[in-house]
Amino acid sequence: MKVVTRVSEALQIPRKKPITGARAIAEAVKLADVDVIAAYPIRPYTGIMNALAEMIANGEFMAEIIVADSEHSQFEIAKHASAVGARTFVGSSGVGLAYATEAIIVTAMDQLPVVAIAGCRALDDPGNFGMEWNDVLLFRDSGWLISWAKDPQEALDMTLVAYRVAEDRRVMLPHFIAVDGATITHIAAPVDVPSKKDVTEFLPLYRPPYPLDPAYGPVTKAQHIAPSLIGPEQRKHVDVAMKRAREVIVEAWKDYANYVGREYSPFIEAFHMDDAEVALVTMGAYTINALHAVEKARKDGVKAGLIRLRYFRPFPFWELRKVLSSVEGVGVLDFSYSFGSPDSGGVLFNEVRAAMYENPKPALDFLFLGGREPKPDDFVRALKILYEYVRTGKTPGNKRVFWLTLRGEDV
Amino acid sequence: MSGEVRLFRSVKEIPPEDYYTAGRRTCAGCGPALAYRLVLKAAGPNTVVLGPTGCMYVANAHQFLTSPYALPWFHTQLGGGGAAGIGTAAAFRALMTKRKRIPEEINVVVFGGDGGFADIGFAGLSMGVSYDYPRLLYVLYDNESYANTGIQASSTTPWGATTTFTPSGKVKRIGNERLKKNVALIMAAHPGVKYVATATLWPPLDLPNKVRKALESGGPSFIHVLTPCPKGWFTPPDLAVELSRLAVETGLWVLWEYENGKFKLNYKPSPRKHVKQYLQLQGRFAHLTADDIEVIEERTKKEWEMWMEMERTGRLIIPWPSSPGDSGDNMTL
Repeated sequence: MKVVTRVSEALQIPRKKPITGARAIAEAVKLADVDVIAAYPIRPYTGIMNALAEMIANGEFMAEIIVADSEHSQFEIAKHASAVGARTFVGSSGVGLAYATEAIIVTAMDQLPVVAIAGCRALDDPGNFGMEWNDVLLFRDSGWLISWAKDPQEALDMTLVAYRVAEDRRVMLPHFIAVDGATITHIAAPVDVPSKKDVTEFLPLYRPPYPLDPAYGPVTKAQHIAPSLIGPEQRKHVDVAMKRAREVIVEAWKDYANYVGREYSPFIEAFHMDDAEVALVTMGAYTINALHAVEKARKDGVKAGLIRLRYFRPFPFWELRKVLSSVEGVGVLDFSYSFGSPDSGGVLFNEVRAAMYENPKPALDFLFLGGREPKPDDFVRALKILYEYVRTGKTPGNKRVFWLTLRGEDV
Repeated sequence: MSGEVRLFRSVKEIPPEDYYTAGRRTCAGCGPALAYRLVLKAAGPNTVVLGPTGCMYVANAHQFLTSPYALPWFHTQLGGGGAAGIGTAAAFRALMTKRKRIPEEINVVVFGGDGGFADIGFAGLSMGVSYDYPRLLYVLYDNESYANTGIQASSTTPWGATTTFTPSGKVKRIGNERLKKNVALIMAAHPGVKYVATATLWPPLDLPNKVRKALESGGPSFIHVLTPCPKGWFTPPDLAVELSRLAVETGLWVLWEYENGKFKLNYKPSPRKHVKQYLQLQGRFAHLTADDIEVIEERTKKEWEMWMEMERTGRLIIPWPSSPGDSGDNMTL
């Protein structure tokens, strides 16, 4: 870590300009001087690759950009380039991620620090451009780090920090940055693009411990094994890496703030939680809409708060327990679902509940499924149901899970 | 192209160094193992080796955490061979161009089985030969079945072979009823590919010399190597080379190469031996009747008219009649 004086930075005119999330992420990839990029089109993440292809075609930076024959190949290309010692970038959305599942899983098991964008998209069938989290959450058990950006600025920052965390020798795991579909990739917002100098200092060259390169001697990687020999030990390696990632994430964001000047609370962002009696928990782009609902409720005298998880893996269970310790009820704003799960709830809902197991709180799940865009009123309604539940112990229909954007009866 | 291709003129010129060595548990008489050894001898030390899942993944270590590779080697998923080669080659080019690594000529050799290259990884292989990475060589070691999982048919399993997915039974007597896919012809149809060849374990210098040509061709290349498999073909372990020779001499396996837009036949069996000399040695064809074998002989004879036409014109032709025994139409590529 390096402490820098911020005087010269402070004197500079802010570099903020409105760009789309896709462009912002592409700027981060360029700043990170990525060596190999593998692309395959699927909306909404495609815009990032379009932007990168244009930058490379215009000589803004040099990288090998491969147009793969499938998402499976895409992720395999990134994995193998990473093994040689290249910094890599890849990404997909929806069923594209599902198609690449095998390659995505082995990348984590090989401990190769590939960085990928997951542009959240509802899974088929039927084909659906809407936003759901289930595509990314297919990989919750895979050993990938998964962070969730709320806006184009954070998507840029998270991409840079992702390389730093993923490539740290204590971690060496691949990293997804989830962005809530077109809400981020296709929406322009003012974005401060850090200077090349700051990024170069923050993010040193990627040097894998055992590159797949004849100059480093014969390395046999991912040889077939008898399960009795190193089966559990290999899994433990990945487990330790994921556990160590917690401290590396904290360090990295602190250091990022030193260089770039933007501070983030690494794992969770809390709004109005100091005296909150009820709390909404969510991730991603709709945080801003949820915050409006919370502030509206506060005007009506409801002590409401909001928590945004910035990482899903590693899951910030410790931070969540702490910040939720004094609330009387929790409502999860959930764009994920697990058919047949406990209480037929969302993936985030049940993760939050599992994290709260030692000190349970009454919890409700508010679902936004199938990609239908939520309305600001939906968040207000969620908060009303939650507050009523805390006050009276009752919910409409005695339910714990609400499909808020569903038309017709929520059976 | 980077200078003169150094070809082996005699077996004695093949270097004694092995890059595919001990520390594996391939079957006695394994054809693919011999191919690996020869290919890597020809490729030399500045090589990265990649292997999709297949029998040569599982057989090349397993029990004692040993590795037979004296070169960098990395596994890739069964359908990942094409992409693994591209990712590796792209990384070297990017790192060298950006001076993050000292520029050097490095071979990337991807060994895929018939499952890995003709079936599940077919699209990836097609992508692999469509980029312009020099010294990127895809080697299809073709033992004509998914041998590791217990001999299941692939799209390169020949007509009439029994496999556990295509057994010869009372109603379906023939066994595998699909005709063998000619992957090399399809690879040659890719405009960016610099060198395409077929080979087997005989004649002894054919395969190593084709590897040398492929790696020096200046672009992506593909070699389809027929590799006899005692386990899957139900043959004695000492017949790997003999079966390779008979496959060529009966005309069932055609040795050819395609370079700079020109087709060249490497071996003309003259006179061509009857296919039964090759088939009768193998348990997988034991159920075929004399009539069945004649169907294969006839088909081979017809195909050879086309191979000779290709030799004459130097152009690629799709040589198959539309169904066994049917003269059909032929398409010029």
